[in-house]
Amino acid sequence: MELVANMDGTWSMQKLHDMEKLLLEKIREAADYSDSEKAKERIFPTPVRDDGKPDEDADAIRGDWGELVRPELASLFEDALGVVEDDLKKMKKSRAGKKGERYEISVPKAHANQWCQALNQARLVLHEKHALPEQNEMLDGEIPEGKWMAMLQSEIYGVIMEFLVTRVLWIK
Amino acid sequence: MATVTEIEAIPEIDVEDEDSLAPVWNVVIWNDPVNLMSFVTLVIRRIFGYSEAKATELMLMVHEKGKAIVWTGEQERAEFFVQQLQGHQLLASMQKV
Repeated sequence: MELVANMDGTWSMQKLHDMEKLLLEKIREAADYSDSEKAKERIFPTPVRDDGKPDEDADAIRGDWGELVRPELASLFEDALGVVEDDLKKMKKSRAGKKGERYEISVPKAHANQWCQALNQARLVLHEKHALPEQNEMLDGEIPEGKWMAMLQSEIYGVIMEFLVTRVLWIK
Repeated sequence: MATVTEIEAIPEIDVEDEDSLAPVWNVVIWNDPVNLMSFVTLVIRRIFGYSEAKATELMLMVHEKGKAIVWTGEQERAEFFVQQLQGHQLLASMQKV
């Protein structure tokens, strides 16, 4: 995979292998927190942590948050996934090499925020669901296939995010 | 020419003023091993308008100390900032000072 910040208002992912294409197509699935309470708690953390002391202000904020802010955040996150999903439909074959098909996709820079959001959500959910190790930590013993795949997904999503943050979205 | 100097009464500070009694809140970002350091720095810069140096310092504090207070002030603004930070999926909350 090659990531390129173009001069025409787009950024591209080029020379994508089958596996990379597949993992990109799995962003929405990876970002789905609906079947995991832990993932849900991570995506929608409390606005005021409970320090054990009674506090009417904190209770009121938590109540408003659940009623008003969380639905807004959920809608924001869903919109980002929708933008990514639409962009992915534009993925096309670039060439068939000896080692298999290659693909490429160009994305408007205006969608970089939504891509970052969707990739970040997918990484957060993958880490919660699969209890992935923290950066620089190693896994002991035999790694189940699902966990191995989740690690690879998180790694690739992280590479794309890093590119977007430092090459497309960075404030000069 | 004669001059008249009037000494105006200095207004008393109203200690019962609602604003002066309003609690102050810290906006806190907590460490999260998944979020990229560059992303956290970008979000802090974007939301608070801090310089790259200040945002990086705060990000490193989050990373090394487990949390950083990124803003302090009145409740409504604190809620706004926490919503913005959570909108970028950072682990953020507010706490009364």
